Amino acid sequence: MIPLATKTRTQPESSTAAQTRLADAWHVVVLNDPVNLMSYVVMVFKKVFGFDEMTARKHMLEVHEEGRSVVWSGVREQAEAYVFTLQQWHLTAVLEAGERKQA
Amino acid sequence: MKRVEVKLNLEAVAPLLDVIREAADDLRPELATSARVPDHEEEFSAGWKEELLQGQNTDLGVLLGLFGHEFFATGVLPLDPTNAEAILRACAAVRLRLRAKHLEGLGDEALESSAVPLEALPERQRKAFAAYVFLATLQELIVQHLDPTVLE
Repeated sequence: MIPLATKTRTQPESSTAAQTRLADAWHVVVLNDPVNLMSYVVMVFKKVFGFDEMTARKHMLEVHEEGRSVVWSGVREQAEAYVFTLQQWHLTAVLEAGERKQA
Repeated sequence: MKRVEVKLNLEAVAPLLDVIREAADDLRPELATSARVPDHEEEFSAGWKEELLQGQNTDLGVLLGLFGHEFFATGVLPLDPTNAEAILRACAAVRLRLRAKHLEGLGDEALESSAVPLEALPERQRKAFAAYVFLATLQELIVQHLDPTVLE
């Protein structure tokens, strides 16, 4: 999981729930687009995820150079909320199912 | 971010407003980017897109509201914490629309580097490109004031 300093991070409700969720992680993936400015994308990542400058830039460059970056992983509900917020900022964000392991 | 007043050259900016308004009008019924909704039932998907569209229209209203009577009297755009984020998002939406409608043929590399042969373009496309660059400049200015570290 990508380390975060975000206020909106979901806390595990119980150890069992946490184990189930870890086994069923969802990824928030940002895809490259040819329009949005690098500085804008960095600012959005900092704002939405609470990333520090270096982390935000790392993800922005990953998007720019590799076409995609997994910016957050975790429970589905929170991942959906992040995808929605990124789409409000007109970034191309998608939800992807992570590798499923047995809980 | 403190309140910032940006003084613009009216003669340079006024001709771009038609193309910006037109793009904003195009965006009233549709999203600037085709939002990929996580796999859910139809009702959820429709609600998701509707909420995005409402937010997009609110943001576009804030952007267009900058270019009212006061702007034409003074040439000043007032930017502050209450409108900055909406304007940033609206600029992104309009730029996406301008590219899709007028600029796609120019190629991403040319657009990114602004190495576009302006003289060779038809007037409408030239205006669309100028508006595209103007809105990017406005975004850079706001980002710089919202978060000075981002452009270091």
